[in-house]
Amino acid sequence: MLKIIFKKLIFIPIASFFVSSLAFVVVNLTPGDPVEVIAGGIASEETKQAIRVELGLDQNIYERYLDYLGDLSQGDLGTSFYTKVPVIDSINQYLFDTFELIIISLIIALFLGFIIGGIGAYFRGKALDRFTNFLLSIIQSVPDFFLGLLLIYFLFYKLQIVPAPIGRIGLTDVPPDQITGGLLIDSALSGNWETFRVGLKHAILPSITLGIFYSSYFGRTARNVLGNSLNSKQVEFAKSLGLSKFRIFIYALVDARTPIITYIAILFAGLFGACAIIETVFAWNGIGSWAIEKILMLDIPAIQGFILFAGLITLFTYTFLDILITYLDPRIRKKTL
Amino acid sequence: MKLVKKINKQNLPVILSFIVLFNFSFGAFLYNFTHDPYATNIIERLSTPGGAYLFGTDEVGFDIFSRTIIAGKIDLFISLSGTFAALIIGLPLGLMASDKTKNADRIMKVLDMFQAFPLLVLAIVIVAMWGNNIRNVIFAIILINVPRFTRLIRSEALTVRESRFIEVATAMGASKTRIISKHLLPNILGTLLAQASITTAHSIVVVAALSFIGIGVVPPEASWGSMIRAGSQYMITGQWWMSLFPGLAIFLSVLSFNTISQYILRKYEQI
Repeated sequence: MLKIIFKKLIFIPIASFFVSSLAFVVVNLTPGDPVEVIAGGIASEETKQAIRVELGLDQNIYERYLDYLGDLSQGDLGTSFYTKVPVIDSINQYLFDTFELIIISLIIALFLGFIIGGIGAYFRGKALDRFTNFLLSIIQSVPDFFLGLLLIYFLFYKLQIVPAPIGRIGLTDVPPDQITGGLLIDSALSGNWETFRVGLKHAILPSITLGIFYSSYFGRTARNVLGNSLNSKQVEFAKSLGLSKFRIFIYALVDARTPIITYIAILFAGLFGACAIIETVFAWNGIGSWAIEKILMLDIPAIQGFILFAGLITLFTYTFLDILITYLDPRIRKKTL
Repeated sequence: MKLVKKINKQNLPVILSFIVLFNFSFGAFLYNFTHDPYATNIIERLSTPGGAYLFGTDEVGFDIFSRTIIAGKIDLFISLSGTFAALIIGLPLGLMASDKTKNADRIMKVLDMFQAFPLLVLAIVIVAMWGNNIRNVIFAIILINVPRFTRLIRSEALTVRESRFIEVATAMGASKTRIISKHLLPNILGTLLAQASITTAHSIVVVAALSFIGIGVVPPEASWGSMIRAGSQYMITGQWWMSLFPGLAIFLSVLSFNTISQYILRKYEQI
């Protein structure tokens, strides 16, 4: 087991190097000129040149790449073109906000997905199965940002059961002291339960939006995987032993854990980028809406930093997933040894 | 009699899907619009649906009905052409990667790395930095989808290559081109078409997401994403129609492509 873990971990430094290089290439090998945007249309050639020198854009691409790698090895992602705030600080500030949104959304998605998929698997081939399948197709076909707007209309405007989609807390609420940067975690840590409650209320709309949208993914996986394991030999055996239906279902769930855990990990990593638009819709100050804002301003160090960061999160999540699955599934363990 | 009924029931969703897609693709010629989709009527801005404007008007007085219909032309064109190009590029790559050689491993490694990035954000980066035009949106769609097609084609080709008839064909001295064109391709065609259909559905959402945040296809050109964007601020105050109709158009198109994909898969599974 240790040998496998070591084998997976040794891959990380090499992969990190590739990820950081790709982040550089994607952002820097583009025909767009950020100086034009920063300086504005009426700036003189001297002003543009001054900006170019200040931002290091007068050097050729190889020098910039070496600079970038050098800074990176010291944990420096550069500073924003506009605000001069170090990129790593911004990422630190917004990371946990997005993290909170993703975790709550994933829990909702898992819960909904398992109910829908579980019903489908249990009544495989019957009318209820066809109905849940149809339901999943519907959910899958609604773009998440449109779903978000529909929920704003119904839950906020019509029913008025959620606060306005204007951010993490109301304008008059007191934010907690910054510890991790995540509002819910911080207010819980500092015992500020009033802010925690308000923050949770504001989290309802965006997390339900993402939760419903991604429940379709879990729903399909759950239906197929549970369906297969409900028809497997061991479940047949459990049935013949006369175990209760609920017990059998739990056993089928354990049997189906590997693909389900894989799905959770893939969605977790993917959501760091995929929730960006939802964050924008609900004015959720997370890393995704920060990234979109920076991209539209062509703030190269910030974009680079975000892409690198998202790539690394994916890399680490997948490596961890690999190890976890080898640990959970003896068949894979045997094969890799 | 029973057979006819069964066929109809199976085909009906697909037929409906094609009607929906046809409607949005050629809407510009099918309808006789009473309002010019590119003309604003500022006096009658924010009109409610029904009355003179079937779907109402938006904040600058654009007619939502005609714009929802003609937006399909550009949105579907981008999604379809991007998907098609990605398929054309992904096919040889995937076939190459299904060879058991060093190069094949390298292709897959690069693709694995590529998949580590948030693809939607990557698309936004490309369009924002390379310039706001349709060509770059298509390029972004291609870039996102080439790895997916390559991966799918590789895994499908690997399965088919293991089968007896390929072994026999090789033993009989069939050339590589012949094996690929006569034996491999026909066997993966169903999965490929189904995937292309799903990818197009997915691309529609990506195109819409891009114009929703204000890049890609932007006004005065009509696109579903930018129309939803224009109405998004009004959802809080209850003017639902601006975002609802373009949103429904996306929903129907995506649902159609998904339905077609499921149908293709079922058909090929039967054979």
